[in-house]
Amino acid sequence: MTLDKSKIRILFLAIGSTSLTWMLNHHFGLGPIVASGLVGVIAALFIPGALAGIAYTSSFVGMSSLAVLPSLIIALLGGLIVGIVIIATTEVYAGIGGKGGTTAAAAALVTKAITGLIG
Amino acid sequence: MNTLLIICTAIVAGVATYIIANNFNKGAVLASASVTLVSGIIFPYFFPTMGTTLMVVAACASYGGMVSRKNAPSLIDMIMISSIIGLLFTLTATSYAGVGGRLGTIAAISCFTWIGVRNSATAATRARKSDAYSKPVGVWQ
Repeated sequence: MTLDKSKIRILFLAIGSTSLTWMLNHHFGLGPIVASGLVGVIAALFIPGALAGIAYTSSFVGMSSLAVLPSLIIALLGGLIVGIVIIATTEVYAGIGGKGGTTAAAAALVTKAITGLIG
Repeated sequence: MNTLLIICTAIVAGVATYIIANNFNKGAVLASASVTLVSGIIFPYFFPTMGTTLMVVAACASYGGMVSRKNAPSLIDMIMISSIIGLLFTLTATSYAGVGGRLGTIAAISCFTWIGVRNSATAATRARKSDAYSKPVGVWQ
C-alpha cells in the first residue's frame, strides 16, 4: 500500500475527527451520541462527499468509553488505525448501512488490544 | 412494553434517516448525523427514565438508515431493517458496551439479515414458479 496525497489526507481527517469526538464526548461531557452527531453534521456541511463519510466513520471511534480510549493520545492512535482500516476497506460492502460503524468497531478493538499490549 | 418502545423508536429514526437521505437528497452522512444529534438532545429531555436508551437506539437505527437505495429499495425494507435493529439492540444490550462502532455493527448485521431474508424469499418464489412450470400436466399422465 503506497501513501499518496489522498490517503495522507484521509489519515489526518480520521485522526482529527476521532480526537474531536473524544474531546466533545469526555472532555466537554456532551456524551457519545451528541458528540458524534455534532461532528457528523459539521463534516457533512463543510467537507465534500466521501471525505464527510470518512470523518463520520472516524467519529464513531471517538464514541468509545474511557475503558477503551483512556486518553487523547490513545484516541489519536484510534484515529490513525480507523484511517488505515478505511483506506484498506473502501470498496468492501459499500452501501450497507452500518458499514462505517463496523469499521470503527474493528478499529476500536484493535486500539484496545494494542494499548493492552503496551500496558 | 420497553421492547416495543425501542422497536418503534428504531423504526421512526431509521425511516427518518432514509427519507432525509434519499427523498430529500441530503446525503447519508448529514441525514444520519442530524437524526443522531436531534435524538441525543430530545430523548433525554422528554423521557427522563428511558431517554438515554432511546437516544442510543435512534442513533443505531440512523446508521441503518444510511443503507443505499440499491440495497433497500423501498420504505418497507427500511421498516424491516429498523425493526431488526430494535430487536437486536435489546438482545445485545450488554455486549461490547463502550466500544465505539458497536451500534454501527448492529445496524450492519440487521441490514445483512434483511437483505438475506429478502433474497432467500425471492429465490424461493422463483424456484417454486419454475418448479410449477416444469411439472408435466395434461391428459396423457
